[in-house]
Amino acid sequence: MPAFVPEFDCPSLRLRGLTKNFESKRAVDCVDLEVMPGEFYALLGPNGAGKTTTLRMVAGLLRPDAGSIAVCGVDALRDPLSARRLTAWLPDEPMLYDKLDPLEYLEFVAGLWGVDPRRAEKSCEELLHVLGLWDHRHERCEGFSRGMKQKVALAGALIHEPRLLMLDEPLTGLDAAIARQVKELLMARARAGATIILTTHILEVAERLASRIGIIRSGKLIIEGTLDELRAHAHALPHSSASASGAAAHSLEDVFLSLTAADDAAAEPVKNIAA
Amino acid sequence: MNALPMAPGSLLWLLQHDLLLAWRRFRAMFGGLRPRTAVAILGAVFVALHGLAWPVARWFADVQPGGSQQALMYPALAAAMMFILPWLISQSLTGAVRALYSRGDLDLLLASPLPARRILAARALSIAVEALASAIILIVPLINMIVWFCGLRWLLVYPVLAATALFAAAAGIALALALFRLAGPRRTRVLGQILATIIAAGFVLTLQVLNVVPAHVRDSIVAMIDQPGANILLDRTSALWLPVRALAGEMPSLLIWIAAGPLLFAAMVWLLANFFVNSAVHSAAVAPASARHSARKTGAVRFRAGHARAMRIKEWRLLARDPYLLSQIMLLIVYTLPVSIVIWRNQGPGGSLAISVAPAIVVIASQVAASLAWLTISGEDAPEFLATAPITRREMEWRKLQAIALPLLALMALPVAGLAWVDPSSAALAFVFAIGASACTAFLNFWHPMPGKRVMMLRRHSQSKLIAMMEHALALLWAVAVAMTALGSWLAVIPLACAALILWFNRPKGAELIPRQAVAA
Repeated sequence: MPAFVPEFDCPSLRLRGLTKNFESKRAVDCVDLEVMPGEFYALLGPNGAGKTTTLRMVAGLLRPDAGSIAVCGVDALRDPLSARRLTAWLPDEPMLYDKLDPLEYLEFVAGLWGVDPRRAEKSCEELLHVLGLWDHRHERCEGFSRGMKQKVALAGALIHEPRLLMLDEPLTGLDAAIARQVKELLMARARAGATIILTTHILEVAERLASRIGIIRSGKLIIEGTLDELRAHAHALPHSSASASGAAAHSLEDVFLSLTAADDAAAEPVKNIAA
Repeated sequence: MNALPMAPGSLLWLLQHDLLLAWRRFRAMFGGLRPRTAVAILGAVFVALHGLAWPVARWFADVQPGGSQQALMYPALAAAMMFILPWLISQSLTGAVRALYSRGDLDLLLASPLPARRILAARALSIAVEALASAIILIVPLINMIVWFCGLRWLLVYPVLAATALFAAAAGIALALALFRLAGPRRTRVLGQILATIIAAGFVLTLQVLNVVPAHVRDSIVAMIDQPGANILLDRTSALWLPVRALAGEMPSLLIWIAAGPLLFAAMVWLLANFFVNSAVHSAAVAPASARHSARKTGAVRFRAGHARAMRIKEWRLLARDPYLLSQIMLLIVYTLPVSIVIWRNQGPGGSLAISVAPAIVVIASQVAASLAWLTISGEDAPEFLATAPITRREMEWRKLQAIALPLLALMALPVAGLAWVDPSSAALAFVFAIGASACTAFLNFWHPMPGKRVMMLRRHSQSKLIAMMEHALALLWAVAVAMTALGSWLAVIPLACAALILWFNRPKGAELIPRQAVAA
């Protein structure tokens, strides 16, 4: 298999008009999105807004009804295998094998993604040490707590050094210490040039980590930009609860609430403030 | 099931709750069938079984006191008890292990302001009822026909049966708790299921042994049962034979047994309530318990290359760590080998080994192949994860097929080699037909994945009765075909054609080969 060499100046993820219907309900509605290499992007939105569905389509687990997906310039719908080779998907419920230990699991994942064994061994050791799993590497995953399982799954997602790492609610169920480790690990990956996209309900996480934030509601990407841009936008909204309070610096929570509280009918497709 | 007006929190109210859950579990076995259809099928089977019981009841009329073959009554009733009692105990054990481990439900009940003893009594009663219900469709037609032919006095069997169910429930629950004590909460589930299967198999095994022993030994056993005092085990006046005498309607024994069953049951509820409650709470708390270490302990990390290899190694590791697989293989051997010995014996010293042993090898191989295929495809823990890997679905399935070939060949190696030592040509036949039969049942499972948890392996046939029937039919057809080929008959083509036809009807209709949950939202 020829190794795919991604172009660095093209976006790690480009969605165009991505649409998915579940029976009569439109779960994802014509989403356009571009995320560049090294970016840490947070997808925010209320429950059932279509965040996870969007990412599951990118991971190749759902086929979109319309639109296109390009991962580092590779058309994920036409050449899914090449796209998957560059991608890692980490759902909120870790996908593990109870009867395998972390070492065996990582060996399996590295094998699936065709990572060179010598290289995989090295990064496996590093990951297990960084995530505090080294002492548990010979224990079967069935006995692990939820946080430990998530760490093993995260190590699995990182061992093949994906260019695009998508995480669904990565910090739920993790205690503060582990959450911090995970955050640092993800930041380091972004600095090294990987693209991180995460969905979250925890606004503080998005506020702290993300270089860019997109807010999804009813399947539509209603707004995206940096935290400052979103703040400025929310401040300008006439019915903003934030502006009514008169506070100078709004937290993301205020921004989020005022944007998602707006009328469904008034929801506009995409408003890229940065553009 | 209509809710009867009962005081909430009463014993009957709790029992009704448990039985409703049991009824739903039973209903789930019929999959998509409508309740009316399921009841109609059950009714038809019930009526048909009365027809089957007819000759047995006619025979029993000769065996009962005053008949021409009186000496056989106690052996016949003993055989019946040896079927019913282990079956009920095994079902009770399974039910008790489930009751101990069904999380949420029992936690919820024990957290409620009801006395634990009442909760346990209701649960234990429902275990007894459920165990009895599993046997009732076979037993009741027989009793009805015996009452019809041999007189109303045999109606007394019904209370004896109820007492036996309570006795078995007490024994089953006690066994589950003993296992819990000895093996700990983690292993009780596995051991409980294996033990329950072995107890249930005990009856079949005993009958097989009786079939194998020469006729004069059997006659002397019957004679010993008829003459009390000859042998402690076979003395029908001893305490061991109490349930058999109760079944026969002997007066003091019948009353003692009818009293003993409920008394023992009540005593068990009373004595073990606290222990039961403690261990159930314990199991919920400990479930994700102490770590299980893998074999290798060396410090250095060593990976092997290639995704093909990685996938095969992963499947082998998971198969090797599956306790149910081993117990199923043991059971198959226990069930199948005596049959082949019987066939061999009946053929006399000149009989061909190919006709007796080869079909057994074919049946075992095809059933094991089906289990392996189910474990690798339907029992896949992370189908979604595999779907995100840069590997085509076709390749994934090909690797899984490769992975199940090795353990299958390893299992077949010894019996086929043994056969080859004695009779090389029948060994070759057995090998070829076993491969064919295994491929058939493996493909059946590949084409019709029934997503489930690995721990459900021994009960996977309760998921789809239809697939189970076809799996058994395929195994049987190939076994018949190998026997006919060994006899040099061209008619062997017929069962092979039937097998091919079954497979053709089950061919995949679409491209959807991965468990559907993998692509569901």
